[in-house]
Amino acid sequence: MLDRTCTHQSALVDAALSGGEPDAALAAHLAACPSCREACDAVRWMRQLADAPAEAHALPNPDVIWWKAQLLRRWDVERRAAAPIERMHKAELVGGLASLVAFVVWQWSGVSRMFSNLVPSLLSTMSAQAAGGHAASGPSGLALTLGSLLLGALILAGFHRMLSDN
Amino acid sequence: MAELTAALGADTVSDRTAPAPPATLLTEQEFHEIYRSQGRALWAYLYRLTGNAADADDLLQDSFCRLLATPLATRDESQLRAYLFRIASNVSIDHWRRSGRARREADPPPPTATPDGANAAVLRHDMARTFRELKPQERVLLWLAHVEGSEHREIATTLGLKAASVPVLLFRARRKLAGLLKKRGLGPGER
Repeated sequence: MLDRTCTHQSALVDAALSGGEPDAALAAHLAACPSCREACDAVRWMRQLADAPAEAHALPNPDVIWWKAQLLRRWDVERRAAAPIERMHKAELVGGLASLVAFVVWQWSGVSRMFSNLVPSLLSTMSAQAAGGHAASGPSGLALTLGSLLLGALILAGFHRMLSDN
Repeated sequence: MAELTAALGADTVSDRTAPAPPATLLTEQEFHEIYRSQGRALWAYLYRLTGNAADADDLLQDSFCRLLATPLATRDESQLRAYLFRIASNVSIDHWRRSGRARREADPPPPTATPDGANAAVLRHDMARTFRELKPQERVLLWLAHVEGSEHREIATTLGLKAASVPVLLFRARRKLAGLLKKRGLGPGER
């Protein structure tokens, strides 16, 4: 498509926009230039469209718009105020997960031993207690179990908070 | 453009050279005055763009909500009007993007006017329908340029275009409109 406008078009469009008649030279050009005629027709038509009365329609209640704008602004302020707390929640969760990973890496041999023994030891708890023995293998086994339970609880609490926020 | 940017808040204008009055939010009374003076014209604009009274209502509310959320350094009516139309254009374009380009805008039902006003009502209906045959961006371009008298730079900012593209797009839009008018026998001389 050819997108070059006629050199007189700008002046003719301005004249059409102002609603006045172009001067004699421009009028003569307008009569001879179909492109300029098209442009002027389009401009005049747009003015007519704008001037045509719109449908009789009741505008929305301004009080409702004012109230809505205040509400949106308040929400925005609250959202901005809550942003650091949100960030802290996420940091808490990340910290908890990092602690768990560090703990598992640090105590890997003990953790793996405990889990491999956990199911058989639970099943044999009753008989072991009856025989006077222990399900866990001494104080280190107890510390591992408690540590794992605490970290599990921490992770669960973190996920619970995250889900409830969402 | 300088006039329009002066209407914006301190946090939204970075290229200001002269100190401007502090930007403040509109008060309830100021809002009511602007709504009274500009609400009808803005609604008519949105209605022409969307062809749907319910959409025009929604977009009008969104436009005023955005205006009320922006601190303004001026209360000059013409600057506020220009800014409001710019917001409305952006809101309309967001609306079209959300609802998808392929979405067909439903034509309002043909007018059922009294015999006296029948011709005018039918003509108005045809004009509105012809306008909606243009692409949304073309409608906004033509309206801002030829009804609101916005400068090319303002239109470029509103539509996210390069200022140099606006005259070319405007030329194409005018040509397309002229073609539609010719096809429908709706040219200014044919009314």
